[in-house]
Amino acid sequence: MFELLKSMIKEEWRIHTTIFGGVMFALFPLLIATYSFLGCLFYPLFLTILPVKQLILIVHYLFVFFGLSIGGFGLLGREFMNRRFGQASLLAYSSRTLPVSEKFIFLNFFIKDVLYYFALWILPFIIGFAFAIPVLNISFIYALTALISVTLSFLLGLSFMFLISTLYAHIGKIILLLGLLLIIGLAIIIDYNVSVLEILPSFSFVMSPSITPLITSIIIILALCSVSLFYLKVDYPTEQRFYNNAFKMKLPFKSPFLLKDFLDLDRSEGGLAKVLFSFLFPLLIVWVILFVFLKFVPIGNFLLIFSIFLGLVSSTIYNWVTEFDTFSSYSFLPIKASTVIKNKIKSYILLNSVSAIIFVIILLWTGSFSYALPALFAAISISAYSLAVTIYLGGLYPNILLYNARILFAYILSIMPILSLACTVSLLWPNYLLLSPLLIPLALGILWLSYKKWDSVEQPNY
Amino acid sequence: MEFNKGDIILSEVIELKGVTKKFGKLVAVNNVSLSIRKGEFFGLLGPNGSGKTTTIKILTGQIKPNSGHVKVLGVDVLRNPVGVREVVGIIPEQETPPSFLTAEEYLHLVCKIRVLKDIGEKCDYWFKFLEFEDSRNVLCKDLSRGTRQKLMFAQAFIHSPNIAFIDEPLINLDPVIQKKVKDYLLDYVKKGNTIFFSTHILEVAQELCTKVGIIHNGRIIYEGPVKKNVSLEKIFLEKVGKDNHV
Repeated sequence: MFELLKSMIKEEWRIHTTIFGGVMFALFPLLIATYSFLGCLFYPLFLTILPVKQLILIVHYLFVFFGLSIGGFGLLGREFMNRRFGQASLLAYSSRTLPVSEKFIFLNFFIKDVLYYFALWILPFIIGFAFAIPVLNISFIYALTALISVTLSFLLGLSFMFLISTLYAHIGKIILLLGLLLIIGLAIIIDYNVSVLEILPSFSFVMSPSITPLITSIIIILALCSVSLFYLKVDYPTEQRFYNNAFKMKLPFKSPFLLKDFLDLDRSEGGLAKVLFSFLFPLLIVWVILFVFLKFVPIGNFLLIFSIFLGLVSSTIYNWVTEFDTFSSYSFLPIKASTVIKNKIKSYILLNSVSAIIFVIILLWTGSFSYALPALFAAISISAYSLAVTIYLGGLYPNILLYNARILFAYILSIMPILSLACTVSLLWPNYLLLSPLLIPLALGILWLSYKKWDSVEQPNY
Repeated sequence: MEFNKGDIILSEVIELKGVTKKFGKLVAVNNVSLSIRKGEFFGLLGPNGSGKTTTIKILTGQIKPNSGHVKVLGVDVLRNPVGVREVVGIIPEQETPPSFLTAEEYLHLVCKIRVLKDIGEKCDYWFKFLEFEDSRNVLCKDLSRGTRQKLMFAQAFIHSPNIAFIDEPLINLDPVIQKKVKDYLLDYVKKGNTIFFSTHILEVAQELCTKVGIIHNGRIIYEGPVKKNVSLEKIFLEKVGKDNHV
């Protein structure tokens, strides 16, 4: 049991250090601890804007989301690993060659995820908080309760996603549709009564530590895991998938790369729905946070602030259009890295029609028509700027390179000031957001530099 | 420098002068100079990790050397790497076609990138020639290794290049297709084209190549013509063995 678990932890570490670089990846927990420490240190300045209870609620939901995203890797992990490492496989997929059951392997896989991400993410976060405790003038016992509650939040997200993965193995893409309906349903419920969010048992535990919410959390986690494990179904696809030549279709665009990106997203696990799902989920989080936040800062306009974050979240679509592609597929063809990037931007623009639809929905829902133009300008400009920064720093591999501590730091440094400025402007002088298109020439300049940069360097071979 | 198929002009079409490539402390290619003439079937031989693939990547502008000069068909590779890849065909050692395109879609994409005409006919020819028509609508990730290799072979020759750089192209092919591919390559060279072939299978090199170079620890330790009565294996073992003792 322990041998397999130990090997899986070793394997996870080596995958990360191989992809992100040993030292840079090892620095990542330090970065988390530093951010957590600084956040706690400066928090008293924002106490009047964001009360403690709301902040704690937000942090716990962020860890639920983190657990969901780590668990979500189970849905796409196999394809991701095959693309990154060719035919190399993971221990998790070795039940056909090792004399152990799939359930046993996946139990180990789950425990590995819990231990690994606890040590590398949760613990550093709490350590940062603990270091700030003397300044915050609170008891150290809060560090311990926070450690338990945040871990429980992470586990709730992780075990829920394991259940989704198991259901996905049984009922396929319908689960993504159900997920979408769940998100919409939750949004409606939260809109009706925001306090429904407080039923999260780990949140109840941290607010008033007692045995009931602790046991409730543990029972939910165990129940979700047991059901997932009991009904676990591992498919080793042996069937060949056939498709007619999509390049023979008459399309409104000429670029073959656009079609390729569309086919990659559509034919990979989860189909196009996964893009929608992963796009809507952070937006739901933003929506919830804003909803809570604006209850305490009534001067803010929901549409304006939401549009700023919509711009930021929409830039992550670029991560999807690069996810199933690697430049090594083109390196022996007469094509530059910048040409591939330019085509990815076209796919990005096309897929961002989803953002436009969301913008219109939020506009109609809030009825803030007088702010429609500044909100639209802000969304487009911040999307373009964030995209340009992502491309400059991550090229064709944002999903890998942005995990490098140094690059992530540069990304945050480039994005945060603009985001903070836009949020401040939206609160104090909303119409000044009409000036946000000034970011577009800056974004174009960064893109120009990006093309030069990525054409001149040897493309990493991931 | 212009080339017409069928011209037997013994001019140099591939030139490497003093090329060195380092990866950190590792010197993968060390001061390599080579020249290959039009119509030659050149084999770069060497043990695993000797620098064969790195040399091909430098020649085709996929990676830049730390020093030295490289010209292919008169094109300065360092200045115009895309220009070189426009005129040559490359079968990479490891790269696989994109997972979520079918075999036919992949060839279609390559043709579009190379701005070729009559794409359908070209695809039909290669599917028929390499006998994998039944796999044309299968996703690349679901293809067997051998079929992927056929696909990579087809993409390298679909634009009828004058020079082909091929890295271990026969390994996963069955004997029938191997024979077909070998005949194709010999015929290709007979027509005045040039092949730069990397392998560590000496029997294949002996059978196909007109000239070979042996690379070991990043250095060229032997260069010479292939003669039917002189065993390449003997030369290889002698040179590499000697180099190991230096």
